[in-house]
Amino acid sequence: MFHWLEKNPFLFSVGVFIVIAFAGLVEILPNFAEASRPIKGLKPYTVLQLAGKEVYKKDNCIACHSQLIRPFKSETDRYGKYSLSGEYAYDRPFLWGSKRTGPDLHRVGNYRTPDWHANHMWDPKSVVPDSIMPAYKHQFKNVADMKTAYAEAVTVKKVFNTPYGDEIQPGKAAFEKYYKTIALPEALKIAKAMKNKDVLAMVQQGKIPEIVALVAYLERLK
Amino acid sequence: MNSFIVKGLVLAGVLIVATLVVIKQMHIDLSDPINLITFLGAIAIAVLTFGVGAKYMAQMKTDTAGGELAEENWDGIGEYKNELPAGWAWSFFGTMVWAVWYFLWGYPLNAYSQIGEYNKEVKAYNAKFEKKFEAAAKDPATLRDMGESIFLVQCAPCHGETGDGLSGKAQDFEQRMSKKQVLAVLKSGQHQLMYPLGAMPAGLASGQQAEEVAAYIAGGMKGKAPAAWATCAGCHGQDGTGNGGTAPNLKTYDETLVTHVLKHGKTGIIGHMPAFPGRFTPIQEKALAAYLQTLKQ
Repeated sequence: MFHWLEKNPFLFSVGVFIVIAFAGLVEILPNFAEASRPIKGLKPYTVLQLAGKEVYKKDNCIACHSQLIRPFKSETDRYGKYSLSGEYAYDRPFLWGSKRTGPDLHRVGNYRTPDWHANHMWDPKSVVPDSIMPAYKHQFKNVADMKTAYAEAVTVKKVFNTPYGDEIQPGKAAFEKYYKTIALPEALKIAKAMKNKDVLAMVQQGKIPEIVALVAYLERLK
Repeated sequence: MNSFIVKGLVLAGVLIVATLVVIKQMHIDLSDPINLITFLGAIAIAVLTFGVGAKYMAQMKTDTAGGELAEENWDGIGEYKNELPAGWAWSFFGTMVWAVWYFLWGYPLNAYSQIGEYNKEVKAYNAKFEKKFEAAAKDPATLRDMGESIFLVQCAPCHGETGDGLSGKAQDFEQRMSKKQVLAVLKSGQHQLMYPLGAMPAGLASGQQAEEVAAYIAGGMKGKAPAAWATCAGCHGQDGTGNGGTAPNLKTYDETLVTHVLKHGKTGIIGHMPAFPGRFTPIQEKALAAYLQTLKQ
């Protein structure tokens, strides 16, 4: 009855593939399509926040911190509302992480302040006595790579239609205008809240240290 | 009887005896239905495995191939046109029927919701929590312990494990308000916490009067109140405890104060505290207040 199938190995293979992939096709693909859409009210990262995201990646925060609150009571009690896929729509790549040596950071912007982050990154034990997190003092001196972050914003605007406004345009002049009129005031606001004189002085001189970019990124995680 | 079957049954017997020895040694109670069923299951597995195994091994020894060959053959390898075993065929057909039922009615697409399961878990947990702490909430020691455990997870990163505010990085809970804080509030006014009595206007007291009031409040309101205290008492009450929750309590961290700060957040001369709306249940906020009050000494 089914001998014709055995005589058409290619057709048979396609059939087997469809049967095996069926669950994935009907369950996973529609979910992907919906999840890739940003949730209502989600704004793309500012260039300063993107630069902070790069610092987050560079200093490998993802090795110890996750950014994914699972829908379990024990997690939502500690970290806040469970994460939704649409919240990561502008994360390229997303930084879910897979290990929690430290706590989850997906909503850290809701319950920490810039000055807390400043104290914590300078010397974690000064605020959390039992912390095993290392200090990240170099972030207070190193200047954040705003040019690359700006280029990333320009790229995702063009390639993925990320809804940036007219302020993001290709070209050196556009970058310099953005840096002066948008990025620096944003950084200054963060630096003032951080209460660190050296950092504030640096920003006032027109240089943005990595810590300011990183805190801007962490404050955005809500 | 075939020697294979005999050997198989002997092996099954040995296993059953071994099982009985274990039952005897470990004092397993066979009057417990679960234990009894497990034991009977073990016997069935032993008998069926060795019995059926032995039967087919014996058959392999003596059986010869027979039947009608199918027309096709593949490089000389042919195939018999045997009937499907009826039991197998019916089970296969049954699973097909079951699959249709399963896809369409039993467990249709997207019938499972992770969030639904989460909501159920939270509901069950809250019901359990309320029942468990209904009585305990009236016991100050339990409330304090509960407050401490919440404080250590949620508050200690900023306020310090002892609640001392980490030398000026956050509010110091050993005191309700410092002199500096009182002076700052007198100067700028205050309406962040949305108490029913409304905004406190700026400049209610200044100069020497403000100094006196600030020292009185920072000192825990001991001794004789300065003359200017009458202005404060108008809203905060003669004893400074906030007029039954209509204005902030200046003496201690009471439940109303904790609830209001958690709901609205607070920005003062130290810095900014984010709001934590909906993070805690009312009883958890009550527990937090109870714990904060014990930090005062």
